[in-house]
Amino acid sequence: MLQTLAITLQVAVAATLVNLPLALALGWLVVKKRIRGGFLLDILASLPLALPPVVIGYMLLLLLGRRGPIGRLAADVLGVDILFTWAAAALAAAVISFPLMARAFMVAMHGVDERIERSARSLGAGPLRVFFTMTLPLAYRGLLAGVLLGFVRALSEFGATIVVAGSIPGRTQTLPLAIYESVQLGRDEEALALVAVSIALAVATIAAHNWLLTLPRRGET
Amino acid sequence: MTETAPQGGAPPFLEFRVSKSYDAFTLDCEGVFPSGITAVFGPSGSGKTTLLDSIAGMISPDCGEIRAGGRLVYSSRARVDLPPEKRRFGYVFQHGALFPQMSVRANISYGYRLTPESERLAAPDDLADLLGLSHLMDRGVANLSGGERQRVALARALAISPRLLLLDEPLASLDAAYRASILLHLNRVSERLGVSMVFVSHSLSEVLALAPFTYALDGGRMIAHGPTPEILAHPGVSRIADYGTLENILEAEVVDSGGCESASALRVGDALLVGPPTLSQPGDLASISIGAGDIILSLGVPPMTSARNAVPAVVRELRDAGGRVLVHVDLGVPLVVEVTPAAAAELALRPDQDIYLVIKSNSILVFA
Repeated sequence: MLQTLAITLQVAVAATLVNLPLALALGWLVVKKRIRGGFLLDILASLPLALPPVVIGYMLLLLLGRRGPIGRLAADVLGVDILFTWAAAALAAAVISFPLMARAFMVAMHGVDERIERSARSLGAGPLRVFFTMTLPLAYRGLLAGVLLGFVRALSEFGATIVVAGSIPGRTQTLPLAIYESVQLGRDEEALALVAVSIALAVATIAAHNWLLTLPRRGET
Repeated sequence: MTETAPQGGAPPFLEFRVSKSYDAFTLDCEGVFPSGITAVFGPSGSGKTTLLDSIAGMISPDCGEIRAGGRLVYSSRARVDLPPEKRRFGYVFQHGALFPQMSVRANISYGYRLTPESERLAAPDDLADLLGLSHLMDRGVANLSGGERQRVALARALAISPRLLLLDEPLASLDAAYRASILLHLNRVSERLGVSMVFVSHSLSEVLALAPFTYALDGGRMIAHGPTPEILAHPGVSRIADYGTLENILEAEVVDSGGCESASALRVGDALLVGPPTLSQPGDLASISIGAGDIILSLGVPPMTSARNAVPAVVRELRDAGGRVLVHVDLGVPLVVEVTPAAAAELALRPDQDIYLVIKSNSILVFA
C-alpha cells in the first residue's frame, strides 16, 4: 500500500512539475503578451478538460506507442518504451490536469492590476522582469489555487492513465487504479483501506494549500 | 511639426504627432511642448490619457512620430517604437498603482536599481526627504493615505532620474488638502530636479497652479495650446471649462496660526493675508486655496468693509472667457480673479494697473 501511495505521489508531483512552467508560459503568452492566436492555444490547452479522459488516454496511446511519433522517437533515441511506465502515467495525469492549472493561472494573472505592471515597465523593467517581480507575486493566491487544482486532479487521474500505463502493481498502479482493482476483485477491506489513504492524502493536500495561503505577506496585513 | 512652436521662450522638449483610432474614438493631434511643466487639459474622453500613454510607450499609435529631449522614441515611418522600459519616462497613475507586495522603500528603489549608476541623479532617501516620506520608508503601502500614496508614486518615478515625468490625473482621487500639497510638491520637484513634466488634468485650477504651458484637447483633437493664462480664456476652452470652480492654489508661509477666536496670518507672495485659524505652526509652509470668484477687485482701499484683506497687486493681463473676464494679477505670485465684463469695464482694468484685492478671510482655505 505504501508503494501505491509512493507511486501516486510520484506521478502527481511529476505531472505538476511538468505543467507548472508550461501553464505559467501559457498564461503569460495569452493573458499578458496577448499573442495573436492566443485563443486557439487556450482552447487547445483546455480541451482535455472537456473530453472524456479515456479519449485523451487513447490519443496518448497512439502518440506514445511504438508506431506513434513520440514513442518511436523515444525508442530510437533513448532506447526506452514509454507506454506502461510510471512516466506514461505521469504524462497522462499532466495532460488531464493541465487545463485546471492553466485556467486558474490565467484568471489569477488577469486579476493583476495592469497599471501596476505598466508602472514597473515605465521604471525600466522589461516584460519578463515585470512578470517575475509583479505578476507572479501579485497572483500568488490564484497561482497556488491552480497548483492545488492541478495536483489533486493528477492524484485522482484514472481514465487516461489506465489506457497508457495499465495498472501494474508496484510500477504504474496509483491509488485510484488500485481501488478499482480491489473493488473488481471483491477485496472490500483493501479497497476501504485505500480509500482511507486517498482521503488522508486529499485532506493533507488541501491543508498544505491553506497553510501556504496564510504565510504572512507584506501588504496584505 | 513646424507649425506649433511653443511660446514663452523655453526650448522645445517634446514634439509629437500622434494618430490612434479606437472603435468610437480617434485621437489625432500634434504638439511641441517646452521644457518645464506642460498641462494637457480636456474633459474626460478627450484623449488626454491616450496621448500620455502614447508618449509613455504604453500603447502604440497607428501612426505619427514622438521625439523627447531630441531622442526619437516612436516613428511609424522609421519603424521605431521603444518600449516603456527603454524610454525611461517616469509615469504616475491616478491612484498611484503602488506595488502592494513591497514596502515604501522597495517601491521607491525598484526603478532606481534598474537605472545605470551613471544616470542616477537622486537617491531614494533624498527623494523621500524631498517629498516628506522619510518616516514611512519601512512601512507597507496598504495603509498609506491618498496623499502619501501619490507622493510615493512620485518618488518612485523620480528615482529613475527621468528626463520627462508623465502624470495622469495624479490629483483626481485626492481630497482638496492632499491635492494642494501634491501640487506644491510637484512644483518643488520640477524646480529642484529640473525634470520636465506632462501633467494630464481636467481641472483648470490644477493646470493654473502647476503649468505655465497648456495644451487643450477635446474630442481627440487639439483645440488650443500656449501659455496657460491665454489658454484658460480660449473660446474653445471656455466652452468646456467650468470657471465657477476655478481656484488659486498657492503656497503660504504661516506667520501666526491664530487661535479659536483669532485669525491666522499667512504670507503669500509679497502680501500678508488674514486667514482662518490653522493647525500649522508659525514658520510652516501651508497650501491655501482662494476661489477666483471670491476675490473682489477695488481701485483703492475700501474705507469700511467686513473683508479682512485689502492687499495691493498689479494687473498683468485681462482675458475674456465666454461671458466673464479672467483678470491675472501679480501679488508676488500670480493669481487669477474672475469678474463680470461690466465690472471690468467700469473699473477700466488694464495691464500694469495698480489694484487692491479684497478677500474675506473665510474665503481662504488653509490646508495643513
